[in-house]
Amino acid sequence: MHYPIAMIRTLSRLLLLSLCLFITNIQASSAQSESGISLNTAGQQGEASMLDVGLVIFDPGIPADASTHSKLGIFPEIRKSEAKFIPVVLRQVLLDSGAWGVVRVLPEPLDSSELLITGKILRSDGLRLALQIRVQDATGRRWLDKVYLDETSEGDYPVKPGGDPYLDLYRQIANDMLALKRQLSDKQLRDIRQVGSLRYAASLSPEVFAGYLTRSEGGLHTVVRLPADGDPMIARVERIRNQEYLFIDTVDEQYATLYEEMVPTYNLWRQFGREQALYRKDYEDRVTSRESRGRRGTFAALEQTYDAYKWSKIHEQDLDELALGFNNEVAPTVMEVSGKVFKLNGTLDSQYTEWRDILRQIFELETGLTPAA
Amino acid sequence: MNIAHLTLKLFAALVCSCVLLAGCSSDAPKKAMLQGQDSRSANFGGSWEMDYSQSDNIQDKLDSLVRDLRRQAERRSQGGMNQGSGGSYTIGGSGANSAPTIIGLARMADMITNSALLEVEQSEHKIKVKREENFALTCEFYPGQAPKVETPVGAEICGWNAHQLVFKIYLPEGLSIQHVMTLGASGRKLNVATTVVSDQVSYPFTLNRVYNRFVPGNSGFSCKMTLTKGRVCTTQSQ
Repeated sequence: MHYPIAMIRTLSRLLLLSLCLFITNIQASSAQSESGISLNTAGQQGEASMLDVGLVIFDPGIPADASTHSKLGIFPEIRKSEAKFIPVVLRQVLLDSGAWGVVRVLPEPLDSSELLITGKILRSDGLRLALQIRVQDATGRRWLDKVYLDETSEGDYPVKPGGDPYLDLYRQIANDMLALKRQLSDKQLRDIRQVGSLRYAASLSPEVFAGYLTRSEGGLHTVVRLPADGDPMIARVERIRNQEYLFIDTVDEQYATLYEEMVPTYNLWRQFGREQALYRKDYEDRVTSRESRGRRGTFAALEQTYDAYKWSKIHEQDLDELALGFNNEVAPTVMEVSGKVFKLNGTLDSQYTEWRDILRQIFELETGLTPAA
Repeated sequence: MNIAHLTLKLFAALVCSCVLLAGCSSDAPKKAMLQGQDSRSANFGGSWEMDYSQSDNIQDKLDSLVRDLRRQAERRSQGGMNQGSGGSYTIGGSGANSAPTIIGLARMADMITNSALLEVEQSEHKIKVKREENFALTCEFYPGQAPKVETPVGAEICGWNAHQLVFKIYLPEGLSIQHVMTLGASGRKLNVATTVVSDQVSYPFTLNRVYNRFVPGNSGFSCKMTLTKGRVCTTQSQ
């Protein structure tokens, strides 16, 4: 049981080191990108106010009715990749703001996160990005529930290394979050951290820790009492929690790797997609307004009509080909990320669940208590 | 097809008959309720090459169209209809059923159907008919209504009519095109019946193109499309 923990700890340290290098690279180049919104930074802050943030892989927003995908211009495989890609970009921007503690990309929601961000992709192509963003803290307080929309301009492409055509959108989210955080007092921020810890502890052992918290009718968690300083049980919980974070950091690093490997192809996809969409609209406007080449019904007139449709279809089908090219390049990386094995079996999501079960078993062995179901 | 020769023959036929046509109405492709999914759906997947010997001869089809138009004109003439109510003219005229519009329709049908090779990719919910030197015909199959796509330059509807796959394209300027794909009993032959309709000609023009299934030779390499490097081929066979 100790072997995988030791292995993951070592692995995580190595991976976190490379993650730091990766983040530095992004920070260095993000200033070059086309952006109209500047990122507000937090300045010097006390440790207590540095909330850790959990950023859950986004809902790709793919309608269950597959017959609507073409009409809505949704390429499901690309959306699934974007659902992993976009949170990584947002994490970099949140880290750049200097307002937060550790920002982790999570494979699934962790309710005890001090601050939890969930998102849904409403639209994503080379022209526009629309995201539904929800932010909630560990007490259950809803910080944000908002749709963010950004449109690209010609200057956003080609995307500069480390930049992103939608940097404005990410910065706006980060700025909104920081503004909301500034409305909270130090005590409120401390409470969030305490509730987060106690909710995590209660998820491991409800009979011991449930009494420390109460939940209002509105769903808000508040601290009723605090464990004594040096409580060994809390020390155990913290150790287990850190082990869980080590796993998440490893997973998180895989998302960062996916980002790095995907970004050249994805940027091209968005650039081509934008060019295609603009060209097609311009083409359709031109052909519907131009004069007929011959009398109605003659070959010249019929050919002109048919050719207008033919080229419109060819442009549309070019986009399908590009999507296929994207999938051919990116799918193996996505599959690799989703299928990585760390002495555990199954996909990344199921590994995470399995890992949490192992942690609970460790806790049970150490304390003799029954963990929560 | 030698279009100049075809035009000459048509002109001759029209001069001889001095066709007078009036009050013509467009005969659009027969309306059938298309289905998004059909349990009798055929599998068209694979590569197809045109069998010229079994496909329609455009000259014969054009002659047939001219005969139909002549008969229609005669019927109208016998019925004492007012020839001036629309489309009445002789050779060299303009408007409905004029030589330029009839030839235009035939040339369109020929142009639309001249793909010698087809490559069909078919799955449970989608078909893509890649046509040489033309855009691919695509259709998605889902239960319920057949999918309809509308753009400023045309509209498209497709679906199953029993075992036949039907694509209908409605374009501006009174032009519409229907492709009906039918698989032979053995699964080795494919008939694509293309009907072109113009609101300037009383009758639709249909051309049947017959295709034979073939297996593309093993080239010794396989290719796939990529975004950053374009088409990438490896020596690994498919």
